[in-house]
Amino acid sequence: MGNELNRRSFLNAAVSAAGLVAMGPLLSACGGGGAQRAGVNSEAGLKAALPAYVPNTSIQPDIPSVAGGPDALTNPGFLKYPANRIATVSGVPGKGGKYSTVTPLWGTIPPADNSFYQAMNSALGVELQMKPADGNNYNTIIPTMTAAKRLPDWIQLPTWWNSQFNTGGLAGTQLADLTPYLSGDNVKKYPNLAAIPTAAWRTGVWGDKLYGIPSFSSGFQVAGIIYYRRDIFEAKGISPDQVKSADDLMSLGKELTDAKNGVWAFDDVYRYIYTAFGAPLKWKVDNGKLVHLYETEEFYAALDWNHRLATAGYVHPDALAGDNANGNTRFYGGKTLISSGGTGAWNLSDAQSGAAANPNYRRGAFNIFAADGKSAPRIDMGAGSSLMSYLNVNLKPEQIEELLSVANYLAAPFGSAEYTMINYGVEGQHFTMVNGEPTHTDAGKKEVQAQTYPFLATPASAVSSPGNPQVTRDYTDWQAANVKALAKPVFWNMNISMPQAQATADAAQSVEDTMKDCIHGKKKVSDVRDAVAAWKTSGGGDKLIQWTTENVLEKHGTGQ
Amino acid sequence: MTLPAVVLLLVFNYAPLFGLITAFQEYDPLVGVWNSPLAGFDQFERLFGDPLFWGAVRNTLYLSFVQLILFFPIPIALALLLNSVLSQRIRNFIQSVVYLPHFFSWVLAITIFQQMLGGAGALNHFLRNNDIGTWDIMTNPDTFALLVTAQVIWKEAGWGIIVFLAALAAINTDLYEAAAADGAGPWRRLWHITLPGLRGVIVLLLVLRLGNALSVGFEQFLIQRNAVGHDAADVLDTFSFYYGIATGDYSYGAAAGLFKSVISLLLIWGANKLAHAFGEDGLYRK
Repeated sequence: MGNELNRRSFLNAAVSAAGLVAMGPLLSACGGGGAQRAGVNSEAGLKAALPAYVPNTSIQPDIPSVAGGPDALTNPGFLKYPANRIATVSGVPGKGGKYSTVTPLWGTIPPADNSFYQAMNSALGVELQMKPADGNNYNTIIPTMTAAKRLPDWIQLPTWWNSQFNTGGLAGTQLADLTPYLSGDNVKKYPNLAAIPTAAWRTGVWGDKLYGIPSFSSGFQVAGIIYYRRDIFEAKGISPDQVKSADDLMSLGKELTDAKNGVWAFDDVYRYIYTAFGAPLKWKVDNGKLVHLYETEEFYAALDWNHRLATAGYVHPDALAGDNANGNTRFYGGKTLISSGGTGAWNLSDAQSGAAANPNYRRGAFNIFAADGKSAPRIDMGAGSSLMSYLNVNLKPEQIEELLSVANYLAAPFGSAEYTMINYGVEGQHFTMVNGEPTHTDAGKKEVQAQTYPFLATPASAVSSPGNPQVTRDYTDWQAANVKALAKPVFWNMNISMPQAQATADAAQSVEDTMKDCIHGKKKVSDVRDAVAAWKTSGGGDKLIQWTTENVLEKHGTGQ
Repeated sequence: MTLPAVVLLLVFNYAPLFGLITAFQEYDPLVGVWNSPLAGFDQFERLFGDPLFWGAVRNTLYLSFVQLILFFPIPIALALLLNSVLSQRIRNFIQSVVYLPHFFSWVLAITIFQQMLGGAGALNHFLRNNDIGTWDIMTNPDTFALLVTAQVIWKEAGWGIIVFLAALAAINTDLYEAAAADGAGPWRRLWHITLPGLRGVIVLLLVLRLGNALSVGFEQFLIQRNAVGHDAADVLDTFSFYYGIATGDYSYGAAAGLFKSVISLLLIWGANKLAHAFGEDGLYRK
């Protein structure tokens, strides 16, 4: 994978999307109206709904996956594009139906009805009307469609919306139930879909029924990691292995910051480092009692560390001024040497952008560590997939089957004939083979490079960086070294959707705001404690904890 | 001939007013406006009990006041200054230069400020290299009102002079000649001819300004909110966004927006009354 997909842009979108969201209140007193939210999943129900897993072995990677704990698995790596582009789908999957789709796109929207779309339509045997929408505003256009009950036939709803956007309320009312078509052995009719790991399907299950089709699934899903400039560290003779604790990392701040020359050691790192202090992602269970992140001392320890980092002058002033959009530019330009972000940032286009600023550019990541330097390193696993597509509830059974056959085509494994078609287009027209790697022609750059179909379905992720295998080696090596640190957080992959008041408390805007001021050095940790105290009482925090305890923990357990 | 304008107004200004009903609902985007349950004044009750809301009101009024004092006179002074420049070429040049920033987006304007005055910007780079110590203006919540006013002056003052220049051009030049012949110096001419000639326009703009006292801008604060923190940067519009739209609490955001509209309407009505009391036209001639 790794063409245009950049998790950083997802994360940026996710941050802005922390909002855009929409929810239906479960109002008993007021009656009428409010859409019901599909509840949390149960273990037994999940077992009945989930598809069987039949791995695809037709194309062997150069770097095989390494298993960690349960459901934790590194992504396979390809150092060269498979020479023999085998076909995994025989014939044309579609029967000539016509369907509308809406997908997000972080990049330039390709021209409508272009030659690539036409080639795809004839390969798929259906007329898919591709309507990619700007990913940055994606979350503002969907609520208007749901309110008018006019969703397209096939739509992408990112999973990071789940806690806020009422996907569960759409399941069954506006989104089609796929359980009869895909559960258990039914999925074997679609072998490429059967090769998607079970954890990813779990993210598409609502109220014990399967609705979603995963894209870009991975056994190595984490929110983000701490990166460093490997080329500059090596030139300075600094070994990243010497960082075994938060104090070690802090001392690099003093060593690397050279403000007079416009170099600061750090960009913003809070969001991906607070769990190193032992703080939970959001929830933990302590002696059977549910505890929110804001109630843990580890959370305040993490804030304190980040506050000290900022006030010591080790963080780039533009980052302190809240400018996250240029974080990559600062990193490429060597203005910051340690930054943080999603793992999707570690790809070919990153290496190319970095090399444009500095030919020696090389990205590295610190191994997962515990802040105290003594505890076992751990990092929380994210949902099995960040992106899920859904079919419209109004489709007839034969139409659903036709689209699932199309999804099966779209989920063909890395390096297959179908994968090449979806990601590179028609050979000679959209791409040519250069040194054994498919390379986009000008037409391909315009029409194919910005990914559209993959937001409907893809195979499980593989790492590749055509023409620059070093990136694939670096990233897969790092994954292999850290896969043992992956652990499931409380309520992992459980798809909780909650009433409006709880969702508002869950977003905790006032605490998040104060927290940002604290890690930027403008407010004290005690101010965050005050904000949390207000959040617990008047902000609905205590009620959120109570609601989650009664409706999730006591009924469905921790999901671990 | 006015039909297209009327249709435009109806479709884009009056029809959306219907959406205000969401302020009295628990709006649910899954079922739409028609099916969302009514909630009476619940949203407003929550709103008036929210200290963050009152913080946003306070910030809005404070920023409005600071801008009224520091920004409002600048375009008048600039227009007078420009009016006294005799060379048409120099006038055109100055006018073009001061107009230009109006066409920049706030993102660009603030980026320029950040590049110049930010912690890693040109000024602080110079100070640091000469061991003078740094000057923190872009992230200081205490001086934020001055910063945003300076940004507004830089961006909008040039654009603001257009109306005043037009009013100046309308003043009969014979008056100046007669006054000069009677021995009035430049200051007396300014006081007795120019300013009275501008009075109608100044009062009109003041009325509009007061009516818009609760609209101090949106993007400017949205972009800089992370830099100075929400305590200093939240105004009513960003409050609606962050605590309404951003958390999916649409009805709450709509309630905050409606509150702002009602108060604004009262303000503009009051300011117009005041203008009439001073014998000026205000928004319309009485």
